[in-house]
Amino acid sequence: MQRMVIQRIWIGLATLWVVSVMVFIMTAALPGDVAAIVLGQSATPESLAAYRAERGLDQPLVFQYFGWLGSLMTGDLGISKAGGATISSLIAGRLYNTMLLAAIVAVISVPVSVMLGLLAAMYPGTWIDRVLTFGTLSLISVPEFFIATFMVLILAVKLQWLPAIANISGDETYLELLRGLAMPLITLIIVVAAQMIRMTRAGILNVMNSPYIEMAILKGVRRNRIILRHAFFNTIGPIVNVIALNLAYLVSGVVIVETIFAYPGLAKLMIDGVQTRDLPLVQACAMIFCGTYVVLIILADVAAILANPRLRNPK
Amino acid sequence: MTKSKDNLPTIDNVSVEDRVTIETGLRRGATRREVMSWLVASGATIAVAGSIVTSAKKALAATPKKGGKLKFASDLHGPSDTLDPGLNTSTIDYTRSRSMYNSLCQINDDLSTRPELAEEYSSNESVTEWTFKLRKNVKFHDGSNFTADDVLYTMSRHYGDKSTSTAKPLVADVKEWKKVDSHTVKAIMSSPNADLPVILGTPQFKILKDGTTDFQKSVGTGPFVTTEFKPGQRSLHKRNDHYWRDGANVEEIEIFAITDKVARTSALLSGDIDLMQALDPKAIRQIESTDGVGIWSVASGAYFGICAMTHTSPGNNPDFVKALQYIQRREKIVKSVLKGQGTVGNDHPINIAYGADHCQELPQRTHDLDKAKFHLKKSGITSAELNVAEVGPGMTDICLLAQREAQKIGLDLQVKKVPNDGYWGAIWMKTPLNVVTWNMRPTANVMINLAFAPDAPWNDTLWNSKRLGKLLVESRGVTDLAKRHEMYCEMQRLISVGSDEFPPSGMVIPAHRNYLDAKSDKIEGIGRMPLGSLGGYEWPEFAWRTDA
Amino acid sequence: MTDATQGAETEAEEGKTIYDELPDAPPKKKLKLSWTGKIGVALVAFWIIMVIVGPWVAPFHEADIIADDSYLGPGYVTEGEGTHWLGTDYLERDILSRILWGARMTVGISFIATLLAYAMGVTAGIAAAVKRGWYDMILSRINDAILSLPTIMLGLLIVVAFGSSIPILIGTAAVIYASSVFRIARAFGQEIMVMDYVEAAQARGETIWWIIFREVLPNAVMPLATDFGLRLVFVVLFISSLSFLGLGIQPPAADWGSMVRQNLEGLQYGSLAPVWPALAIASFTIAINLIVDDVSAKSGGDLAKKMIS
Repeated sequence: MQRMVIQRIWIGLATLWVVSVMVFIMTAALPGDVAAIVLGQSATPESLAAYRAERGLDQPLVFQYFGWLGSLMTGDLGISKAGGATISSLIAGRLYNTMLLAAIVAVISVPVSVMLGLLAAMYPGTWIDRVLTFGTLSLISVPEFFIATFMVLILAVKLQWLPAIANISGDETYLELLRGLAMPLITLIIVVAAQMIRMTRAGILNVMNSPYIEMAILKGVRRNRIILRHAFFNTIGPIVNVIALNLAYLVSGVVIVETIFAYPGLAKLMIDGVQTRDLPLVQACAMIFCGTYVVLIILADVAAILANPRLRNPK
Repeated sequence: MTKSKDNLPTIDNVSVEDRVTIETGLRRGATRREVMSWLVASGATIAVAGSIVTSAKKALAATPKKGGKLKFASDLHGPSDTLDPGLNTSTIDYTRSRSMYNSLCQINDDLSTRPELAEEYSSNESVTEWTFKLRKNVKFHDGSNFTADDVLYTMSRHYGDKSTSTAKPLVADVKEWKKVDSHTVKAIMSSPNADLPVILGTPQFKILKDGTTDFQKSVGTGPFVTTEFKPGQRSLHKRNDHYWRDGANVEEIEIFAITDKVARTSALLSGDIDLMQALDPKAIRQIESTDGVGIWSVASGAYFGICAMTHTSPGNNPDFVKALQYIQRREKIVKSVLKGQGTVGNDHPINIAYGADHCQELPQRTHDLDKAKFHLKKSGITSAELNVAEVGPGMTDICLLAQREAQKIGLDLQVKKVPNDGYWGAIWMKTPLNVVTWNMRPTANVMINLAFAPDAPWNDTLWNSKRLGKLLVESRGVTDLAKRHEMYCEMQRLISVGSDEFPPSGMVIPAHRNYLDAKSDKIEGIGRMPLGSLGGYEWPEFAWRTDA
Repeated sequence: MTDATQGAETEAEEGKTIYDELPDAPPKKKLKLSWTGKIGVALVAFWIIMVIVGPWVAPFHEADIIADDSYLGPGYVTEGEGTHWLGTDYLERDILSRILWGARMTVGISFIATLLAYAMGVTAGIAAAVKRGWYDMILSRINDAILSLPTIMLGLLIVVAFGSSIPILIGTAAVIYASSVFRIARAFGQEIMVMDYVEAAQARGETIWWIIFREVLPNAVMPLATDFGLRLVFVVLFISSLSFLGLGIQPPAADWGSMVRQNLEGLQYGSLAPVWPALAIASFTIAINLIVDDVSAKSGGDLAKKMIS
């Protein structure tokens, strides 16, 4: 077990490196560079050259990459090529915001959706199952910017119960923070819960089909006991995988929610970085996202192995 | 909530010229009766005239209150936000700079100038030398005194190979900045230029402290001290209590951006922000039907353009360009795309907002499919690809309208939507057919010089008109108004129609847009200077809260 | 959802035994649809027909800017043009016509992209589970790298670099979503590979592809089918989220996601303009998922139902 975890960590580091190379190549392939984009319509050949010289953009790209990699080893994330601020100062507050939002959504949505998924699987075809299926499907079928905007119109503009934006800065009271986060939280819970509910239900119904459950049924074990004791443990592998992917999404993929609620998070920062071709900034975000993903996946794998004796002791 | 407001027009609805007339009249002591009679004479009903005058008087009479906090949301921000005025390119940058720094000269709503850090400025007879007398009692936020050295340092950042300034070409005709004494500075020009003060009033020429290189926490002389600056997140600006003049009205300003336009409007409607930049024309109806908020629309010379590059096909074929100009449904664009917040364009950049320099004699080009068909047939071109990025609100829709009309005359105009980022470097001025938006510039000369002069780095269509270049330089020294108008008229005709020997510029300019923003009714003191959003970014020092 | 009881009873009447439902039993040919499943089939059929004939039955061209005003309500008649049954959008175009034209883009692109994603993801994922070793290692690292980055950012990178033509959009969506499919397929593959019957097959000396097609795939079909339905929804939403960044389908072509996006302002004063395309998206994606549920609930659902009775 311990050996496996250590091995996974090495694999994780390899993944991080693959990501950094991929991000580097892809960003370099985009038209335009930082200077051309920051100076925009008012760029002249001279001001472009001056900007590039000032920010060290006149070096070959490969040099820039290894320079970045070298300083990363010493823990230095570098300086934004677009604005000149240190990357760590750009990221610090946003990392906290992103993690805060993801953590609250996870704490609420994971247990709720696994339970609802179980419920649906225990009573398939009944009204509970139907309501859950139809509800989750309807909610995820609508673009999240539609749900978010609709909520803002009702709860913020019409009723004025909640603020329309969540541009938190760190000096709010807990109540203000909670009010500000309410709508982003609801939107995200809707988005991630639906998938987890459906995958839990599908996973369990699938296991119900396997021979040993057949045996249990034939032996006359009670249905709920089968689902909770046997089926559930055997689906933990796939379910934690789905959960891990959803949590990774919460950290890296919530651009739209961050944009609509003006929430200062990392995902929007990375998009801004790509749009201004700010390589050190994009790399820093990519490393954080990939790191989170690696950790979550290791946890998912460990959980899957612990839950399934066959995987625990491969023949 | 959606109850319709009083439909009578207010001072905000009348045209720029009328407003200037009314406001100057009232300021100079014209009575209500007099002003109303002017309005009625020009065709307004008594009720309309009364409503306009009431609102104008109210706007003039109200005394600003001190105190309170103001939240402003712009449309764009990101890691490239900067407090370096020389690198400012976005509204959020300009607004922050306006609150932190001062200029030598300040631009008025009618585009004349008044003293700011220079308490007096004058030129010699031939406009080849400008003298600026600086204020003596001005202190930077760190307590140091403002002197001529600061001005010289600031200006030095706009010259030389190492300059990253985005406004370099505007002051290229200043040969030398000379310090006369500790509070007097001279600008020696290489050619006459009467517009130097107004150029120095534009955002990039904000005065820095001598030797400033670190712009993370910049020091200025302005009405607000920046207490927090997080690029792409927000900034806070506290009132400068040691300001050299009256000083700002509100205690604190928070500046950030809500990039999603729908969310930005919602935030204003819900009262989470007080002031927003870039209202989508589609949302005007909602703002107008909601109590407590209103649109802030300032007519300007800002324009949308379709650029047909003149050095290559199809733009090098004047008949093709003419066809493209005749298919424009200009009235429809103003009505449907801009929702009335704009004016029709005449394929040159100078509209009525530039005042006397606008050439009213030039006939307005109209939608004419027969002429378009004729010219298209003559050009022999049947298809073309137009690269479009949403560089201004409605740009894509304008091109979609053109596409439908093109189909009617047998032109297959493929509209290719490209991303905004990288557009200016890779598409604009590089592909045969592309689009552009320009903000209004302080004078017709600056505008034409930037975008049409034969050697201009931003000549949209690489159009080379020696005659225009000559007129541009000559007109700067002309003081005879009739002669000046004649010269400007010729320039506009050259750009739009061309002359017997030379083809026109290849620019299709179907419409000019208003600066369209919105504000809470609780905020007053927003100006109407037409060079940028919310009265040319001039509001931080003058805005005030009615509920303070 | 499936009406499993009915299905089970019918089968019982036909004299089938419970052993028919053991995993090694030959796959059932007959699929009985519940009433919800039937609605699903009807809706999907409707949209597929619209993909083919949409432009001909639509009252206007998708790019026609002809109405009197923007955000007109349903049923408005523009003099000399016709009736706008669902009203008009922000640019004075007929919404019904744009939805009918847009079926091509939304239904077509998302369906093809999801199928492609599945072809790539399932093949690679199950192959990785079966082959293990270096093969698994390399595939998984590349896959992890793609998965760990936000989809919308990957979309942005690819579309900005290569332009937003329809093949590029399909390819982008397929590659991005293939990586999620890969992980799930690989996880199920691994679970199944340690099952006794697969081990037995290996012991019998069957080839890897035989094992994949006969043993692994049939057993992973149900959870993968559920995922397919969801994945399709995500592809539709992914393409509409690209429109959020100003990318996506080339105008004036309509796709439902960007129609919702472009008309969102209308919502602020009660226009239904963004609601109609949202309903179109919902009707299509929910319909697919209702069918998927019937397919997947067939085995597991029946069995669980039997235990109740």
